[in-house]
Amino acid sequence: MTTATRTTMVTSMADGSAAAEPRCTGDDEDRAPDGAALVRLMTWLSPAFPVGAFTYSHGLEWAIEDGTVTNAASLEAWIGSVLRHGAGRTDAVLLAEAWRATRVRDTLRLTDAADLAFALQPSRERRLEAGAQGKAFVTAVAATWEAPTLSALADDLAPTPVAYAVAVGVAGADHAIPLGALLEAHLTAFVANLVSAAVRAVPLGQTDGQRVIRALTGVVAETAGEARAAAPDDVGGAALRADIASMKHETQYTRLFRS
Amino acid sequence: MTLHVMTPIVADEPPRLQRARGYGRVSFRQTDGRTRLEDLVQEGSAKIRLPRVYDGRGPVAVLLNTAGGITGGDHLVYEAGWGPGTSATVTAQAAERIYRRASGVGRVENRLTVGAGAEAFWLPQETIVFDRAGLARTLEVDLAPDARFTGCEMVVMGRTAMGEDVTTLSLTDRWRIRRNGRLVYADALRFHGDTRAILSGGATGRGARAFASVVQVAPDVADRLDAVRDGLEAAIAASNGRLEAGASVFDGLMSVRLIAADGQALRAGMAPLLERLIDGALPRVWAL
Repeated sequence: MTTATRTTMVTSMADGSAAAEPRCTGDDEDRAPDGAALVRLMTWLSPAFPVGAFTYSHGLEWAIEDGTVTNAASLEAWIGSVLRHGAGRTDAVLLAEAWRATRVRDTLRLTDAADLAFALQPSRERRLEAGAQGKAFVTAVAATWEAPTLSALADDLAPTPVAYAVAVGVAGADHAIPLGALLEAHLTAFVANLVSAAVRAVPLGQTDGQRVIRALTGVVAETAGEARAAAPDDVGGAALRADIASMKHETQYTRLFRS
Repeated sequence: MTLHVMTPIVADEPPRLQRARGYGRVSFRQTDGRTRLEDLVQEGSAKIRLPRVYDGRGPVAVLLNTAGGITGGDHLVYEAGWGPGTSATVTAQAAERIYRRASGVGRVENRLTVGAGAEAFWLPQETIVFDRAGLARTLEVDLAPDARFTGCEMVVMGRTAMGEDVTTLSLTDRWRIRRNGRLVYADALRFHGDTRAILSGGATGRGARAFASVVQVAPDVADRLDAVRDGLEAAIAASNGRLEAGASVFDGLMSVRLIAADGQALRAGMAPLLERLIDGALPRVWAL
């Protein structure tokens, strides 16, 4: 259990950098997940958990239409960039921030992370992807496993939804799932979901899809590690074409996915 | 804010004795149905000019950094205020250049406040970032519930026409837009390291050297989306593959992203887009 306490909002310095501040970096974060934590991770982040993850492609469907993603190599490059420079990293930073804010019961800090996570979604469909999955996750967890901080946050933010990554972070903290494992599991689920979308949308075999997931495990681990070292003001990226892809997907003629 | 005192000069540092500081503030109020200057403050290298122009969108304030560019340790703050019912434009005299620095990053903070029923145009020209530059820029916009806002930021990596590459860079560009106190839009671009490599990916820039963000907040913004998209597609078709762009509307705002092979292609896409969004010609300082 951490002994760090926080009662103030995260503030930023005039130069835009994050204020130097103690972080909650106790055993909680690094601990290997026990059986109870593993069961929750595998359940909540399974494609069977009712958040509708399979209906979102995060703009990948347009990248396939556009010819940017045509095979396993270009799929791996696309997802790798989204992890390093796009929503992968940004979501991971804010998931970690939400997890820490929940562990130290800092409501203001948590609300700030949740506000930022949703406001950063760059297009209508990315807002849907983050918001509708977040909302479904809140509802499903509240009805089954329960996560009091998450339910309170959702009430507090309504009608703005809790962004999916933040919802996962808060529920994970409520159930004392170690942050390191939670981040890697969340990012792996994100990768697996995009690979699954690609397998359905391009002539890419199941085995090739699994090879892409395996090939990206290193990027997932790096991104999770970087996210844990970052402050919320360090969010940001360079996945400009992924953002444009999600905008263009809105008018794509043939669509299997909602994003 | 931390005030830097004069630092000792080391041999390989550019010959700058003092870091540039600047604070500029301009605000507008409405009198007899017209928008007039309310307040003007200029300190350090931040200057603001108010040329007499009549473009149908109210006064134009032109920002000018007399330091001639930004390098590590520089700090510029601009504030602009639109009183209730006003309409005015804030633009910049020229492209802002971010030069190679010895240490630290240059900081630019832009803070806009837009009152009830006011219409704000934030139309700076592009920022040209040179190799080994460092910049942390923020744009904070506070809007009254029914305020209108159109804003853009353009970034060009080096003098692209001369084949320059920006391989080492520290750039963060943050937007935060609040309406009635609620955060409705945030953007955070972040380039640390080899920008050319970062922008080479299919999900990042596919080799782009220039990019822009444009946001419009207005109650009727959704009505413009089709026309904006048509305009963008025409510009893309005319660009010979040197421009890509997308637009989306949500929560009473439009977000447009553009990426381009160079600054020229970016401007070619931006000019018609902005003219469409502001229903008129760009500020005259934009003319080359």
